[in-house]
Amino acid sequence: MPRRNPSTRPRRAPQRAKHVLHGIGGEQGSSFRCLTCRLDISTAAPGTAHRNHCPNCLASRHVDGRVPGDRAQQCRGAMAALCLSVRQDGEWMLVHQCVECNTLKVNRIAGDDNVLVLLRLALRPLADPRLRSRALLAL
Amino acid sequence: MPQSHNSISKTDTFSCIQCGLTVMTYGPDGDRRNHCPSCLHSRHLFDQVEGGPSDCGMRMAPISIAVLRSGDWMIIHRCAQCLELTSNPVSRDDNQLLLMRMAVRPLAQPPFPLEAFGDL
Repeated sequence: MPRRNPSTRPRRAPQRAKHVLHGIGGEQGSSFRCLTCRLDISTAAPGTAHRNHCPNCLASRHVDGRVPGDRAQQCRGAMAALCLSVRQDGEWMLVHQCVECNTLKVNRIAGDDNVLVLLRLALRPLADPRLRSRALLAL
Repeated sequence: MPQSHNSISKTDTFSCIQCGLTVMTYGPDGDRRNHCPSCLHSRHLFDQVEGGPSDCGMRMAPISIAVLRSGDWMIIHRCAQCLELTSNPVSRDDNQLLLMRMAVRPLAQPPFPLEAFGDL
């Protein structure tokens, strides 16, 4: 169900060309396995050219350094979904935190991401028992 | 100018890079502040990728709220220039209106209809 008129959205720069190889030993692969839930995932994703997290558990892997896709990071630890952020145009972004070295990364959500897990993340700040006092202080 | 922790007295202040407010360096709980309590903006002084001080020094905007297992809130900041991310704990005197606004922001513009969740 389209909620926003795409013609009124500001034009963004096109996504970077993809040179990343997923197979063993740097070979061209069409799938990878999630570090957390061991699900086999195809690299083709609806809505994005760069699948970088598991659509089932939203976990990712710490492989990139400063530039997305540079594979400069030696950590290779699992990255757990931490929270959700919203862009100016209303698109949800996932913030991942590395389990090993606590590095933070922002990724776009994909079209086939688990909606229940996404909504749980979005509602996590609101499930705080101290929220009532916060809301009263905000008034 | 890098300063050691001990060289800052309890009454030191800094001015916010975004709104210009003069802020006490130490918060009400005695911990050191890293963002303005009024507009929640911070400044990029620490390099998260390689560690050590960063020479960027640009404004860092708050982008979202993360909740720890203990229930404490963290503010995720992103540098306006080099897009690096940091997470900082919320202070007691932070602007609660801005915090709440960031917390409910994803639900204001959901990318999928939320009506289906009423049946669950």
